Amino acid sequence: MKKQTLWMIIGSVCLAVLSLCVGPKWINPLQMDEVSRQILLSIRLPRVILSLLMGGALGASGAVLQGILRNPLADPYILGISSGAALLAALGLLLGSTAFGFFTIPVFAFVGAVLTGIAVGAMGYRRGGLWPERLLLAGVGVGFLFSSLLMLMMSLSSDEGMRRAILWIFGDLAMADWSLIPYGFVLILIGLILSLWRAKGLNALMLGDDIAHSLGFNPGRERWILFLAVGLMTAASVSMGGVVGFIGLLVPHIIRFVVGSDNRVLIPLSVVAGGALLCTADTIGRTAVAPMELPSGIITAVLGAPYFLYLLKQKDILGES
Amino acid sequence: MLDLSNVSFSYNGDPAIDNLCLSVESGEFIGLIGANGSGKSTILKLAAGTLRPGAGEITLWGKAIHHYRDRDRAKLVSYLPQMLDVHVPFRVNELVRMGLYPYDIPPDLTPDEAVATVGLADKGDSLIGELSGGERRRAFLAMTLLQGAGILLLDEPLANLDIRFQIELMRLLKDLRHQKHISIVMALHDINLAFQFDKVYVVKEGRIITEGRPLETITRDLLREAFDVDVMIYHHENGTVSFGFERMEDKNGLR
Repeated sequence: MKKQTLWMIIGSVCLAVLSLCVGPKWINPLQMDEVSRQILLSIRLPRVILSLLMGGALGASGAVLQGILRNPLADPYILGISSGAALLAALGLLLGSTAFGFFTIPVFAFVGAVLTGIAVGAMGYRRGGLWPERLLLAGVGVGFLFSSLLMLMMSLSSDEGMRRAILWIFGDLAMADWSLIPYGFVLILIGLILSLWRAKGLNALMLGDDIAHSLGFNPGRERWILFLAVGLMTAASVSMGGVVGFIGLLVPHIIRFVVGSDNRVLIPLSVVAGGALLCTADTIGRTAVAPMELPSGIITAVLGAPYFLYLLKQKDILGES
Repeated sequence: MLDLSNVSFSYNGDPAIDNLCLSVESGEFIGLIGANGSGKSTILKLAAGTLRPGAGEITLWGKAIHHYRDRDRAKLVSYLPQMLDVHVPFRVNELVRMGLYPYDIPPDLTPDEAVATVGLADKGDSLIGELSGGERRRAFLAMTLLQGAGILLLDEPLANLDIRFQIELMRLLKDLRHQKHISIVMALHDINLAFQFDKVYVVKEGRIITEGRPLETITRDLLREAFDVDVMIYHHENGTVSFGFERMEDKNGLR
């Protein structure tokens, strides 16, 4: 397991370095002229860092949510957080708002994500704790409502506004800029620290609330902390680069196939693999049909889904011999 | 060690436990017997601190159980519910090691010893979903043993097990009680196994209707009261006890 972990980390670092070199213009980091240096430092490096942060946050969020909801189909977007972010971001894009300058869309998206997270959390709360089933149903309900409103808004909007909104909804890292990274990094780091701090509690929650309590955890408190962690990571991710699908749902499963389900290992490796996958997908998306860009969310699914299906065929994760 | 004094509890206003008193002493092997829905599981959850009583007091070593920190309580009492999730995505070794979660410094028993104690030494790398019902229950029991608490609260641990696994698990628990000096409180509705306990509490509608040594406590009248059925009890010369009831007629009057 340690060997596989090491290879995964080495592979991810290599992919990230390769992503810096690859693009419409090939850049050799050891032999750069001033233009190449500008492209590398001002455009590609922030974009690679952003993709690593977003992919890592989505991978970790998926792993945590699948645990607290005890549902293998859970992903960071099932709680409706992405729909809330998308609704407000699209509203900003369609109205052409510049209320917060360069940060307008990320701020709109972050506010949408946080408000939705609070609303879903309030609806999932009953008798002193968060109930997985209530949380899930509240998230699905809110998600459908906001998606419908989004579609309604887009169908009434101008062509240019709608094109930009669609790009953003499928994951658009073209906005990557150094100014976005520090705030995203801090929020994702806080979420990740909370998740790793409560990883044992998450393992225990997966055995059921009664057993988690018997092992010395307060299931209600554990779920609140982990829900907060997922909310922070998802809100930060979706506000920086839109809604990137697949990573939060399937990356944790792929890692489970390789190293098992202990969240103390699963969460950090989902960060590594999620980051590497989004970084690779974004590199392909911005080079495959350059100068046009393909949305990262589509590439992640095209790359990851066949590998996941292959693993599903090869491995026997739930012991269904 | 563990005392429930005049405890009452209700689910959303529906009374489930009424003025119940129960005490567990060191090394005791106690059975909670009663019909389905009589309140056995609720009593165990109250004793584990999972539920808070509406009235009365539950103390663990003289201190109210809800005044313990969660981790400290977990070192003293552990609880295994009746329903164990089949789809837990862990391997046996991973699951058993979770028994160490309440500790910074692990207790004497090692995970390998705990797995070996329940007879699953060769299944350590198996996924929980691959195990039979009996093996799965023993895997969870190994986790509970590793937790090292002096009191085990087990809710219907023999449910859905065939007679061989029932006897094996019962023997294992009795051995553990002697080896580790732990107290075990077990809920069950199968009266055939009631005579294995040191002491039984008979529960009906959230109240304890009687308690005592099984041979003296379990009578035909008591079973009629607790289960609302007429069952004969036969005490054999070799010390065993069996139960019998009339052969029933089908709708055509055939036996």
